[in-house]
Amino acid sequence: MIKEQFEMTGRYKQWAYALMGVGVLALVLGFVFLKPTGDANSFGVTKFWAVLMHNSIFFLLITIASMFFISATTMAMGGWQTAMRRVPEAISGFVYIGGAIALVVLLGYVFGSQNTAIYHWKDAEHVAHDKVLNGKKGFLNPTFYSIATILVIGTWIALRHWYRKVSLAEDAGEQGDRSYFWKTIVICAAFIVVYGLTVGSTTPWLWLMSIDAHWFSTMYSWYTFASSWVAGLSLIMLFIVYLKNQGYLEYVNEEHIHDVGKFMFAFSIFWTYLWFSQYMLIWYSNQPEETVYFQPRLKGPYSGIFYLNLIINFVAPILILMKRSAKRNYATVTFMSVVLIFGHWLDFYQMIMPGSLKGDENGGNSIGLFLFDMGVAAGFIGLVMLVAGNKLTKASLLPKNHPFVKESIVHHT
Amino acid sequence: MSLLKYESTLREPLVDGEKTYHQVTEDICRPVEEKANTGWKIGFTISVALLLFGVYSVYREVTYGIGQWNLNKTIGWGWDITNFVWWVGIGHAGTLISAILLLFRQGWRTGVNRAAEAMTIFAVMCAGQFPIFHMGRVWDAFFVLPYANSRGPLWVNFASPLLWDVFAISTYFTVSLLFWYSGLIPDFATIRDRAKTKARKLWYGVVSFGWTGSTKHWQRHESLSLVLAGLSTPLVLSVHTIVSFDFATSVVPGWHTTIFPPYFVAGAIFSGFAMVQTLMLVTRKVMKLDDYITLGHIEAMNKVIVLTGSIVGIAYLTELFMAWYGGSKFEFDAFYKYRIAGPYGWSYWTMMTCNVISPQLFWSKKLRRNVAFTFIMSIVVNIGMWFERFVIIVTSVYRDYIPSSWSVYYRPTIWEVGFYLGTFGLFFTCYFLFSKFAPVIAIAEIKHVLKTSGESFKEKMDVIEKESVEHFAHEHAHAH
Repeated sequence: MIKEQFEMTGRYKQWAYALMGVGVLALVLGFVFLKPTGDANSFGVTKFWAVLMHNSIFFLLITIASMFFISATTMAMGGWQTAMRRVPEAISGFVYIGGAIALVVLLGYVFGSQNTAIYHWKDAEHVAHDKVLNGKKGFLNPTFYSIATILVIGTWIALRHWYRKVSLAEDAGEQGDRSYFWKTIVICAAFIVVYGLTVGSTTPWLWLMSIDAHWFSTMYSWYTFASSWVAGLSLIMLFIVYLKNQGYLEYVNEEHIHDVGKFMFAFSIFWTYLWFSQYMLIWYSNQPEETVYFQPRLKGPYSGIFYLNLIINFVAPILILMKRSAKRNYATVTFMSVVLIFGHWLDFYQMIMPGSLKGDENGGNSIGLFLFDMGVAAGFIGLVMLVAGNKLTKASLLPKNHPFVKESIVHHT
Repeated sequence: MSLLKYESTLREPLVDGEKTYHQVTEDICRPVEEKANTGWKIGFTISVALLLFGVYSVYREVTYGIGQWNLNKTIGWGWDITNFVWWVGIGHAGTLISAILLLFRQGWRTGVNRAAEAMTIFAVMCAGQFPIFHMGRVWDAFFVLPYANSRGPLWVNFASPLLWDVFAISTYFTVSLLFWYSGLIPDFATIRDRAKTKARKLWYGVVSFGWTGSTKHWQRHESLSLVLAGLSTPLVLSVHTIVSFDFATSVVPGWHTTIFPPYFVAGAIFSGFAMVQTLMLVTRKVMKLDDYITLGHIEAMNKVIVLTGSIVGIAYLTELFMAWYGGSKFEFDAFYKYRIAGPYGWSYWTMMTCNVISPQLFWSKKLRRNVAFTFIMSIVVNIGMWFERFVIIVTSVYRDYIPSSWSVYYRPTIWEVGFYLGTFGLFFTCYFLFSKFAPVIAIAEIKHVLKTSGESFKEKMDVIEKESVEHFAHEHAHAH
């Protein structure tokens, strides 16, 4: 009999709780040392909120990427991933708590904090004097921001919820009943459209690009998508390898691992392509209103991260994941997953911090307090582990009535 | 390995009807072996006529100069470069189908890949004409090649995307040609082996390079395909990326936008698939190949069209948004005053309707599988994509920064239009010759998928479909 029912081991839970503990500890220490209740635009307050935003947005986007994975493969009638699709299903379950956290953090910052260093456009008085921001106030204002944020996260949750319901109902249904499959097609089509209109366009403008409020780039959202998508694929890979090592997912073998590895490889190149296109075009035309974005990233304390970003997210995957055997090796793919998740976390870091801290004496001169960033990230990792692990226990690991499950079993890459 | 011949019955067959290997050969070789029918002759004659008109139009331009066209002081690029980008874009579907869909193991590519690859090559041939003749002094065209020359310091400008185009497009053409031709070799050998006349045997013997069909040959053929697929995958992206750089590296409002590279690629695939549809729908009808180019194939391509059309739509809206959001007056004017409104507003709205709005109808399964509707849409999309390039080029440059340098309304001359029509002539002349002298469907590749995806073979899978998953997996494990 194969093991279809996942149970979290004591060690898994311990790790999850320990990491969450680190996160809570980091928050407490952050509270003590950064004094987020202090002077509104002080370094501490800005840093505190920026770190929370960085992590809550990053982890929400890389987990909702799992829902995109499901939707894209469903719409493309991809049979190969059926035997492992409960993994992205479980990861996407993070959208409830992750969405709630992001909502609290984002709206908490917009309404609850006096700080205006991260979102300059919050400051009505400043906007009145700033010609550029004044022109944008139809888009960049607290009301629109909060309505859009609630709608976006709400829609993600609703669609993911609906999808999961149908997917579980299929398990309980009869073998050969394809009505569930056609239902998921509808849900996934809806999600793809929503994803295109949120992650593919508006959401990164609102949440992230508005940090450098004067600056703009049409590529920005697709770039953000690529970054979160690579990290999201890596996260899926990590869970698959873990489950395999625990003796689950019997029908998933190196063929499937290889295919997820191909995605990681291909989209790492895709990310680089978008990175290059955005950077090169701004560099080439050399207009101050555009180069202003790369100026603080290229020069000064962030320059190391600027180059590291490329090394981790481009050089590493192209060299390490190129070979067929590397994509079929558990150790290599695990290593690369960790590297890429960290790499894109760092990418988000450099998207958020330089803009938030640029006016600040402390933040402008050093990347500072990296430990706090890492601590909060650890908390999120623990939470993702716990939530996704918990969702995995809720259903059989094999969607045995899915019409493509047999194709997945005999899959040859 | 026996059970590996399983495919879910949810997937529709890729080959309709009860076919054997022999029948596949018969069906696909028939048009090559028979005498050309009247339809072919008429089509070919029209194409050659168009081509000759194009040759004359180009002759006028070469002899009397660029003044034969209505380009003016700000509109230095008009129909010529619009046509260039349009044709290059069309080529992309072929490369995507042959390379990326091969890597993705998409079985349905087998029905359309041969013709799509041929289309790529002919489209790139057409595209190349425009920048070459736009040079004016076409006899100096070789100046674009960077080689040690006797012109002193006159060297190509390596920092110019126009030069990158030279490299990108020539690489693209070479790799596509190799890909297409290496795929044709086994099929040419099939025709050679069936040849009844000496001349035919000799001719197809020469072009099939002595193919014997030995295991060794097949092995090398397979690895060559994979290597070429690996090489052309970056080309799918790079060619149109570099074409987009032609515009985006500039500081012209409406051209300089960072989303251009991926958005151009999506648009290229979009228009390319539309052109494949146009060709395939005619081909399957005229050559009676609807068992191989099924409604399933057409639907799959329509899905690609609605996807890429929507991606392009997001890019249009992103540009519009940023033109407002960016706060630059010139950028704003370029989009809201000179494109949406203004004397060329009609072209903008044609583009929007054809590229973004009408393809949304393909969300309907009924329409995706409607041959007549698909045919109309495939032409609508290509009209839209032509206008996209026209909008990008002409509406961004017809008004310069100061009103004194605004240009007069741009209308092409008959020789500009003639040049464009001439490339249609070239394209279809090549396509008609190809469809007469080469199998338009990859015979060997169809045979490869026949026993998993052929209609009569799929019926047997009903039994497997009813087995429990455990039983199925168990059987499979034993079969290994």
